Amino acid sequence: MVNTFSQIACVGFCLQNILIFYTVYMANPLPITFAREMPSVWRADELARPVDAVVATGHAALDAQLPAGGWPVGALVEVLQSKSNLNEWRLLLPALTRCSGPVLLVGAPHQPFGPGLAAQGLDPQRLLCVTAQTTAQRLWACEQALRCADVTAVLAWLPQGGSGRVRPEQLRRLQMAASTHSKLLFVMRPLAAREESSPAALRVLVSGQGSGQEGLALHILKRRGPPLAQPLSLPARAARLAALLAVTRRQVAAPLVISDKDGDEERREANHDASHDTFIARITPFPGASHALDRTAAAA
Amino acid sequence: MHWIALQPLPDATGPQDDDDGALVDALAALGWWALQFTPRVAQVEGAVLMEVSASERLFGGRKPLLDKIYKKNKPVALVQYARAATSLIAIARLQLSGPASRKPDDLPLTTLLAARPHLPTLTRIGCTAWGQLRALPRGGLVRRFGAGLVDALDRAYGAKPELYPWLELPAVFEARLELTARIDNAPALMFGARRLLAQLHVWLQARQRGILALELGWELDARRQDAPRGQLVVRTAEPTLDMAHVQRLLAENLARVTLHAPALYLHLRSLETAALPGTTTSLLPDDVRVGDSLHHLLERLSARLGAEHVLRAVPYADHRPERMQVWQAASPAASVFATNSVAAHAYPARAGGQNHASKQPKTDARSDALYPTWLLTQPLKLPVRNNTPQCAEEGGPLTLLAGPQRVEAGWWGVSEEDGACALRDYFLARSEQMGLLWVYQERLPGQGAAGGRTATGPDWYLHGVFA
Repeated sequence: MVNTFSQIACVGFCLQNILIFYTVYMANPLPITFAREMPSVWRADELARPVDAVVATGHAALDAQLPAGGWPVGALVEVLQSKSNLNEWRLLLPALTRCSGPVLLVGAPHQPFGPGLAAQGLDPQRLLCVTAQTTAQRLWACEQALRCADVTAVLAWLPQGGSGRVRPEQLRRLQMAASTHSKLLFVMRPLAAREESSPAALRVLVSGQGSGQEGLALHILKRRGPPLAQPLSLPARAARLAALLAVTRRQVAAPLVISDKDGDEERREANHDASHDTFIARITPFPGASHALDRTAAAA
Repeated sequence: MHWIALQPLPDATGPQDDDDGALVDALAALGWWALQFTPRVAQVEGAVLMEVSASERLFGGRKPLLDKIYKKNKPVALVQYARAATSLIAIARLQLSGPASRKPDDLPLTTLLAARPHLPTLTRIGCTAWGQLRALPRGGLVRRFGAGLVDALDRAYGAKPELYPWLELPAVFEARLELTARIDNAPALMFGARRLLAQLHVWLQARQRGILALELGWELDARRQDAPRGQLVVRTAEPTLDMAHVQRLLAENLARVTLHAPALYLHLRSLETAALPGTTTSLLPDDVRVGDSLHHLLERLSARLGAEHVLRAVPYADHRPERMQVWQAASPAASVFATNSVAAHAYPARAGGQNHASKQPKTDARSDALYPTWLLTQPLKLPVRNNTPQCAEEGGPLTLLAGPQRVEAGWWGVSEEDGACALRDYFLARSEQMGLLWVYQERLPGQGAAGGRTATGPDWYLHGVFA
């Protein structure tokens, strides 16, 4: 019964291209079977058909749960995450690497680290960072960017609370700009925004899996389709990092602790011990380690 | 000879003054516009004269040329036309502006400029039309009225060549506007600036150039201020004819200007222009891109937020993570995206000896996978308890997963721009609250922000997040 209500609620959310057939369907299911053949009719118990282009997320489990199998282009996608546990790159990088063109970051919490992103396939030269303090400036910059013909994707970090509170009509404005100009738009918001209504076409809540698990836990709060009760688990780490973490997981029982006393001595030992383990010893600080500067690390 | 006289209609500059796009000096703009048809353009008596007989062949005959002037290529202001075999007849017909063009002999003497000082005398002897004046004996006319009148008559009938100071396009655009009202706040100056920009647009079109930099200046009421002038320089990355973009940039910049006294005059000057390449249009409707270009966006963002807030990263060959990329203002370099220049080009020459390391980032994917995706601008000092670094916010202990990755660089640094010496051991650490982190430990005392080894042990810093 709960499910039924939420499905009806879904109908209420997504007003585009929808005829509210659901109540009719509940009363007498037979006469509307023709609705299955009509492409513009979306039934709330199945995933919506593609309205616009999508970009594959790069996570197969997530693609399966999204309408048309990817991030919608020309729609607002809300990513909710806690302020201290940032996971946006793991979630979005595969999709961003799939398209070309500049990506605008508005109000990013830290500096994007070019070498780290390049290792995962995103050319850091594509990134443009806009730092703006107030929410109004960030919203303005987002809207301007969405109107630009060259920009492919806009990632915005909107704070919550205080005077910088984002109102639903402001998000609606972004959603309209994104759909008019067919841009990828991701808005990162804090967890507190979960309870608010939002015009976003897709809302996902991202958190890391606790207790040493490396994957991403993903709750799809809202999508054009039936709500998803179970969180998705995505193994979202770069291959090499994942391999390293898999090795270290075995050693977590004896974590690497370095005491202060004769620190250098002990560190050398730790280093030496680690060299028995093939993987850890291979963390070369820099590629092409023939450089003279790297020799200290080699000798240690 | 085939002369066309053009005159802006009085209402083209009168009541339209307040409209957008009204020109500051319609006559000059009309002259610049006329220069596309012929080099022989002159300004006489509030009218623009153009002699088109030499260009008829280029435009495919007289009729196509007139069609082009009158219909296809609309002049920049509302005008009235008259044409004739000589310029003086054309001007006379323009002044009469009757529907039927009269013969030269029937034109009234009031329309001949050279006859105007002598009009009372001529009227008293019953001479009112050009034909009557021409019938008088030449010798007597010269003796009575001077040679100027006879010369003008000869030129009007084509017996003498007509020479004027021909109009030339100025190499630098400069226009001045007296404001109709005293303006107290800077954003309201946009109102007059818009008219100056419309004039600039005509000039740019005539020169087939795009604007790169311009200067908007204003003169303040001198009685109220010691420095009665102010100016604003606006630059754009690509030569543009798009006055709407320039206008937005001006508006953003003017919004930050404070006028200390009411402004009385505005003037606009072009500082730098560049030849405008032609654009290729597409036949297919799909190729028409909606929206403005990237450099327009970046310039608009930079104009409002400040150039230091719109940044792009340029890779740099250095071992210290915080110096692996240099943040530069994005707006002048927007063309990077257009030209697809390679990253290696952006490395400064002083990287010199390390050039072998400064290759494309993508090729290093194997090793660089251990770099985080977020880098903290300022490394965050972590509290240490039991010789274990603690997570800064919630205070839980960090579990070191992998490391150390030793960075020892920057010892050569003597100046500020070389940065500080970095002797660090980087570790991959996990925090229950913050996920996977990139932390480092200072290896020598006295380098960190806090400086010095404390009793508890070496300093630990949070430097990156594997988001």
